[in-house]
Amino acid sequence: MMSSFLFRAMDARAGIFLAILGAAIILVPASNLLVPENSPFHVPTYAVTLMGKYLTYALLALAVDLVWGYCGILSLGHAAFFALGGYAMGMYLMRQIGTRGVYGDPILPDFMVFLNWQDLPWYWSGFDMFWFAAVMILLVPGALAFIFGWFAFRSRVTGVYLSIITQALTYALLLAFFRNDMGFGGNNGLTDFKDILGFDIQADTTRAGLFAASGLALVVCFLICRAVTRSKLGKVLVAVRDAESRTRFLGYRVEHYKLFVWTLSAMMAGIAGALYVPQVGIINPGEFAPANSIEVVIWVAVGGRGTLVGAVLGAVLVNFAKTWFTAALPDIWLFALGGLFVVVTLFLPKGIVGTISGGWTALRQRKISSDYEKGSDEPPSTPPQSPSAPANIIHCEPVARFPGTTKPQPAE
Amino acid sequence: MARASSLLYLDGVSVSFDGFKALNELSLTIAPGEMRAIIGPNGAGKTTMMDVITGKTRPDSGDVYFDGAVDLTGEDEASIAELGIGRKFQKPTVFESHTVWDNLELALKAPREPFATLFHVIANGEKKRIESLLDLIRLGNKRHELAANLSHGQKQWLEIGMLLAQDPKLLLVDEPAAGMTDAETAETADLLKDIAKDHSVVVVEHDMAFVRSLGVKVTVLHEGSVLAEGSLDHVSADERVVEVYLGR
Amino acid sequence: MRSGETFDDKFIQVRLPTLTRLFKAGGPMSLLKSILVFFCLFAGLTGQAFAQADAESLRNLVNELAKGKYAETEQQIEALVATGNPAAAPVLKALGVGNLYFRKSDNAVFIARKSGKTFVLTDPLTLEPTGEAGKREIKKIKVNNKLRRVVRAALGSLTLQAPDPEVRRSAASAIFKAKDPDSIPALNVAIAAETDDGVLKVMEQARAAAVLNSDLDASDKLAAVATLSEMGNRDALSLLIGLQSTAEGDLRDAAVSAAAKIEKSIAAWDTAQNVWYGLSLGSVLLLAAIGLAITFGVMGVINMAHGEMVMIGAYTTFVVQELIRTSAPGLFEYSLLIALPLAFLTSGVIGIGIERGVIRWLYGRPLETLLATWGISLILQQAVRSLFGPTNREVGNPDWMSGAFELGQMTITYNRMWIIVFALVVFAALMLVLKKTPFGLYTRAVTQNRRMAASMGIRTPWIDALTFGLGSGIAGVAGVALSQIDNVSPNLGQGYIIDSFMVVVFGGVGNLWGTLVGAMTLGVVNKFLEPYAGAVLGKIFVLVFIILFIQKRPRGLFALKGRAVEA
Repeated sequence: MMSSFLFRAMDARAGIFLAILGAAIILVPASNLLVPENSPFHVPTYAVTLMGKYLTYALLALAVDLVWGYCGILSLGHAAFFALGGYAMGMYLMRQIGTRGVYGDPILPDFMVFLNWQDLPWYWSGFDMFWFAAVMILLVPGALAFIFGWFAFRSRVTGVYLSIITQALTYALLLAFFRNDMGFGGNNGLTDFKDILGFDIQADTTRAGLFAASGLALVVCFLICRAVTRSKLGKVLVAVRDAESRTRFLGYRVEHYKLFVWTLSAMMAGIAGALYVPQVGIINPGEFAPANSIEVVIWVAVGGRGTLVGAVLGAVLVNFAKTWFTAALPDIWLFALGGLFVVVTLFLPKGIVGTISGGWTALRQRKISSDYEKGSDEPPSTPPQSPSAPANIIHCEPVARFPGTTKPQPAE
Repeated sequence: MARASSLLYLDGVSVSFDGFKALNELSLTIAPGEMRAIIGPNGAGKTTMMDVITGKTRPDSGDVYFDGAVDLTGEDEASIAELGIGRKFQKPTVFESHTVWDNLELALKAPREPFATLFHVIANGEKKRIESLLDLIRLGNKRHELAANLSHGQKQWLEIGMLLAQDPKLLLVDEPAAGMTDAETAETADLLKDIAKDHSVVVVEHDMAFVRSLGVKVTVLHEGSVLAEGSLDHVSADERVVEVYLGR
Repeated sequence: MRSGETFDDKFIQVRLPTLTRLFKAGGPMSLLKSILVFFCLFAGLTGQAFAQADAESLRNLVNELAKGKYAETEQQIEALVATGNPAAAPVLKALGVGNLYFRKSDNAVFIARKSGKTFVLTDPLTLEPTGEAGKREIKKIKVNNKLRRVVRAALGSLTLQAPDPEVRRSAASAIFKAKDPDSIPALNVAIAAETDDGVLKVMEQARAAAVLNSDLDASDKLAAVATLSEMGNRDALSLLIGLQSTAEGDLRDAAVSAAAKIEKSIAAWDTAQNVWYGLSLGSVLLLAAIGLAITFGVMGVINMAHGEMVMIGAYTTFVVQELIRTSAPGLFEYSLLIALPLAFLTSGVIGIGIERGVIRWLYGRPLETLLATWGISLILQQAVRSLFGPTNREVGNPDWMSGAFELGQMTITYNRMWIIVFALVVFAALMLVLKKTPFGLYTRAVTQNRRMAASMGIRTPWIDALTFGLGSGIAGVAGVALSQIDNVSPNLGQGYIIDSFMVVVFGGVGNLWGTLVGAMTLGVVNKFLEPYAGAVLGKIFVLVFIILFIQKRPRGLFALKGRAVEA
């Protein structure tokens, strides 16, 4: 059962994508560590870190796509799960500083000494152990998502209302984490990390390792998402997206499905945040800002919602553009980002990948249809895969009747 | 009829929206294996009745029992569907971005919980069942077509196919012939009669010719309660029915 | 004209106490007063000449101080007080602290301060420097303890009888704080003469405070407790609590019950003040949300750029004020009134542009609308940042928007008060437009049944654009008001967008009354949570409350029910 579950995750396209990703995971660190610095093939460390950051963003985008692209839940609060995962990692890193802090307190992080705290708050205990922090990285965002989702989905808060309360959720957390009394460093957050698992966090090898870990996490989560979306559960999710109440009348308990995919997605976002923090070296309440969550949504929209490859591609492309713009033309960046939101929603609702594969599918569909016309209506050996196109279907005549026309078909 | 021996038992059901009484002390009983046609002018409460039975709307008062023992007022849509009540909507609602095949697979009677579907692998028996349904609803050559690309009538049939795939004890069918050609209407009537051989069916319909062709007991709803009940000839002879239904 | 008026006032108030003091009687006061008023009105006509004579005689009286012994000095002080001229106050002050000197050569009196080996001289009446004098040229006017007391009392009555009621009020307040029993006689005199009810009250309270601190007998003190009890504020309360620990018998009981009464009334006033703060916050929320109640509530468009419409309104105010400052400074008081229609038009036109350019392609796709308008909000923010810079811009408050007044134990600032009024006026105007004008009728028709409205000949695209423009324009008008209490920066709008959505969703989408009630409720709840939880935590509680509330009633406080909802 498990093997067929995982097997389902693979096909040619996923294979190509994973091959590229795998090559990057090996080549980028290698060219940073092994190739001499004056070689044109040398990748400087800052670029490794930058790309590592993109990979964690890609993972976050994947998480958002899972709930938005497949289940129709537009989350404007995924940055909250990302930041919570980041804080869990940040707490571990803070505890690793030990006596090397400015005040040299073996237990208390600097900001607590500064605030005249005497004891470590109870919720900080255990974070000196990596395994505990790792569990919390999954558990805290997962638990928050579960509780929030359990209430929200059970009372059938949907659509825009849900989007707005997810935004309120992350806004409330933003305000909370700004408070010094919360014990998470207030405005300044957690920073000045020294090492992770005993390795110097500034060292080239650690940076390369973090890049590889981010890539690996992306691969694993991609495979999980792929397996989930191509299972029967994935078909139910798309059904929920397109006709929620119909799905209910078929006997599916929609809230359970939403809760499952929502919690899974939050955990992935938590992992992304945890990998992000050691690479950028800081986590502060600004990560909770509602604007961040909305930006993630546009990454997914650019790449193509409802296509996992698209989410990853969109995150990398938009963030690359952001890096370039903010360095070269900082004043233009917000115009560009804002314009991107408008242009994508108006002219490219399926995103890059959705639009490209839409054209490809139309061609394939024509071929299959003409086969039927020839009379070979042999049922396919495997059941057809569920389409994962956005809900806004372009209505057109069935291609089978008019094999000559090549009207666009919904994706995949 | 006694509650115990009924399949569906509604007694004194009332629903109101902002003072408007959509259902007013409605009582209705369907026997196991029975096929019933429900007619009534617009606003008579037909759709609200369906909503109450399927758990979409909670009644303000009254009893709704299924299979003689199960109180439907305490259940939600999903569990009512699992109990064996299938519903076809007035406007055909199929999953437009799924293929015909996937629509049927989703409807097929199988465990409905997330983890069951996550690890679900389609079995040969299920494939055969889908094949036979495809034949029945005459969409065999459209199996890979997206449901969005079907014609209106084909969507209606697909939805009926999905109802059958659920293998319910009771089918609630809301205006199955709406928007169909005469030929399609006749075929649909035949299909329903076929289905009624081993299911209980409640059909809501406006089309009198269609109801006549079903040849079953008819219940006339008016202002949220039952006005008359009996054969079509019997109720159309009833003066009150003539008055409200034909507006004389 | 203005200066003439104050002169008359001064004159009346100076004459009144001094003359009445001579009579020291309570009997035919009213008759006396009316005679005096008549006399003073008459005298006012020749006021200028009179004042000059006054100044001269005062100078003579001051110079008299150079002569004689202690007993004579006392009489001279009383003569000075008898003029009732506040210009005598510095002289007496200097006398009290021993800074008053006279020149041996001509017996002229000066205020002198030692500076090195010489003395710096100041004219005691004009308070202008009049050169220096050697140690031997001048001589100090001596005072003893008895004289010092006389001086203090004299000073009290001089300031307590100053022509300016504000001076009298602050003199009385100072006595209230000092609780000096010695000032009781001066107060008695001043109270008898006081014409301003407000100042009279303060004087009586000061007297009560002084009486409680004196060794007068219990009946006087009981009366004082009664006065303080009526006063009913925190100062009175602390005096009464102090009395509880020292007094005995009836007086103590009276103090306890009076203190309890005051505590109760203070608690009530505190509640009222909190409600007021809450309504004030609520009106800000209402202003921010009311445009959204149109675009989101009525039209169903998720406009994430709504906050930027508010921001543009605020910047319009800034531009209007800049233009007025450079070209017509006299109009500054009216700058907000001028900015209102301009802000409405600016934001409204931009709103119509957004609707025609972007939103109309996205009707029926709320989530896409949300994303596209978010993009627009980024563009607008950056545009304003490029035009006006990233920092806060200064928007001034006209005079009628600044300052505060007291209502009982509450302090009410004018800007908050006007914003509450303004929010309600905007709300009422919007209601009128939607319920009573053809445009409102068309809007409601289009939002209820677009196709039917279109088939009846309503140009639905126009109505969409205008309705959206109306919602945006109202956001701009809100920006004018919010520019008075918030920083005008490109991020202004972002601070309001989540709150606005919360208000509209909480109140019930599509229901303007719901928005009003929602905004006011959230405002008041927020302010009542603040004392217990702090501002930030209070806000978090409110957010969590709304999140939970939406679970319970997904369609808000005043939800539409029935079939319409499902459609």
